[in-house]
Amino acid sequence: MKLLGLALLAAAEAVALRYAVIESPIRHVLVQMPLLVLAGVLLVWNRQIRHDLAVPLLFVALTVFLFWMLPRNVDWALTLPGETVKYLSLPLMLGVPLRLSWPWLGPILRGFLKANALSMLGVLGFLYTHAPIRICNSYLLSAQQDLGTAFLYLGAGLACLWAIPILFGNSCSRRSNSTGYASCGV
Amino acid sequence: MSAVSELVADKSNATEPQAGAVKLTMILSGAVFALMMVFGLIMRAAQGQWIEVDPALFYQLLTAHGAGMVGTAALSGAAIMWYFCGRHIVLTAGIFWAFLALFLLGVALILSSIFIGGYGGAWTFLYPLPAISGGAWEAGAAAAFLLGYVSIGVGFLLYYLELGRQIHARYGSLVRALGWNLILGREDKNPPPPTIVAAAAVTIFNSIGIILGAAVLVASLVHLLVPGFEVNALLAKNLIYFFGHVFINASIYMAVTAVYEILPEYTGKPWKSNRLFAIAWNAVLIFVMAVYWHHLLQDVVMPPWMLVVGQLVSYFSGIPLIAVTAFSTFLYVRGSKMTWDLTSSLLVLSVAGWSVGSIPASIDGMISVNKVMHNTMWVPGHFHTYLLLGEVAMAFGFMAWLVRGKTIAQMSGLDRVAFVTYLAGAAGFVTVFLFSGAASIPRRWAVHYEEWLPHDRIGTLFSVLIVLATLAFVLRFVLRLDRSNR
Repeated sequence: MKLLGLALLAAAEAVALRYAVIESPIRHVLVQMPLLVLAGVLLVWNRQIRHDLAVPLLFVALTVFLFWMLPRNVDWALTLPGETVKYLSLPLMLGVPLRLSWPWLGPILRGFLKANALSMLGVLGFLYTHAPIRICNSYLLSAQQDLGTAFLYLGAGLACLWAIPILFGNSCSRRSNSTGYASCGV
Repeated sequence: MSAVSELVADKSNATEPQAGAVKLTMILSGAVFALMMVFGLIMRAAQGQWIEVDPALFYQLLTAHGAGMVGTAALSGAAIMWYFCGRHIVLTAGIFWAFLALFLLGVALILSSIFIGGYGGAWTFLYPLPAISGGAWEAGAAAAFLLGYVSIGVGFLLYYLELGRQIHARYGSLVRALGWNLILGREDKNPPPPTIVAAAAVTIFNSIGIILGAAVLVASLVHLLVPGFEVNALLAKNLIYFFGHVFINASIYMAVTAVYEILPEYTGKPWKSNRLFAIAWNAVLIFVMAVYWHHLLQDVVMPPWMLVVGQLVSYFSGIPLIAVTAFSTFLYVRGSKMTWDLTSSLLVLSVAGWSVGSIPASIDGMISVNKVMHNTMWVPGHFHTYLLLGEVAMAFGFMAWLVRGKTIAQMSGLDRVAFVTYLAGAAGFVTVFLFSGAASIPRRWAVHYEEWLPHDRIGTLFSVLIVLATLAFVLRFVLRLDRSNR
């Protein structure tokens, strides 16, 4: 019940940012969208699925993730139809399937996805800070460059967040049960 | 043969994991080393005007030689470290096969981009060169080259994820595997052996290098597809040299595990981790990432403090290597009455060559020297010392050990001839490079002036010796595989 409340709170927070995201791509891409994903994750935090569903669900999550990485879709998300799709797809087709599949993923695949995320945040940082044109028509060039810098900071932060438990111990990678399901799921 | 050597040799055969995969990798490595050396021989002969090579082909050969040698050094180093880590932790064979498959896919892409697509922008893919060929190659060829690197990078990422995961599972944390308990004087009933300390350090710095390398590779690919999108050239150069420097250094740091694991069979003294050893490897972990700025000493727009750090760390980075591995090797060998066969000779040579190679590197790492020497043959002189007399000698020593059998016997006549030929060829070859650098002969030039030809021709003769010795090592390995009990 507590998790459901938190999920609703995250979703409500995301909706409350509805007008704020028009001004700033950082609020849009790095605050509102992650909040929507978080809402989906919290919604099914304690749910388990069958092992054979993990990979298809991961593909769904990654496909939706790739869709929302495209700058033109970020633009589209500011229109009414795009906004509706965003509010539905990010929690239900990214957050939920990602959370359900994640505990079943092997440590190598998880590590690969995390490393790939760091590399891609670097690429996005490049892209948004160096693009000679506005790649999101709804935002100013300066705001676009701010978003690029924020991607780089986020990449550095996540690198620390993920590396410190491996360096100093207490990672959950050893807490998988005999079926391969990791109980801590992060 | 000494009784002690035999005893230790028998003991070490207790666990020999995934030997088949490792042997296959070493066959591939040996074959590619030989082929790339032939490319090098052709380039030196062309510079010496003994043969005629079209300059466009020269730069393609230069690119293939650079990418091929760096890749193969890393491949052989990875196979060696995987093999010896398998003595201490349980590694998943499937990951190694996936790594090898991705590596070979990358090689296929790189070779086709060069010899079908005509790409000749050097192994460093320095931005924005891949996109401004002046008509020498199409964007597609450059993209295939970069995608080849991406494939190899993904393979290595899987390799390090598995290694890091298993080290973490066995030792609880990477800092313990790095020997922090030894450094801090805490009690550790099961301290990590030298191989694990090295593996933990390499896993950390090469993973960081690969992740940053992937970012600049993808950014370069975007630039190829959408030329209007331009990466900051200085930032791209920093990322490329960080990745490149760390990656090639990692190949030696992986291969040195052969020295830690094999030499004790000969000396009868086990190579154990201690406080100094752990401190040295932790220093290596930092230095190898902080020293790459010495590649950018001619970029005057770099912040001066970075260049100063590059110079200072160039001095310091030789210390842990020489203080620990080279000095320890000397102490282990001294007075041990060890038997000098091909394995032990090559491994001791490799540590000596690696140490000697750090001297021209440190000299070139001085800003005042670098201004004059960086674009001369001095630089290939330094890295060929590291590689020919260091990493490649370690790989050949490991190959000789894999097919040695249980008995350690003195070197046969043929082995002695091959070893002396290799030593003479490699030492002469790198000395010519260093002399050429001191004479201000530029590197990477397809066509040389008349005055430079004696250097090139002497270098060519020495490279013939290296190729012959390498063929002997590789053929010896292949012919003795059925005798191997590992």
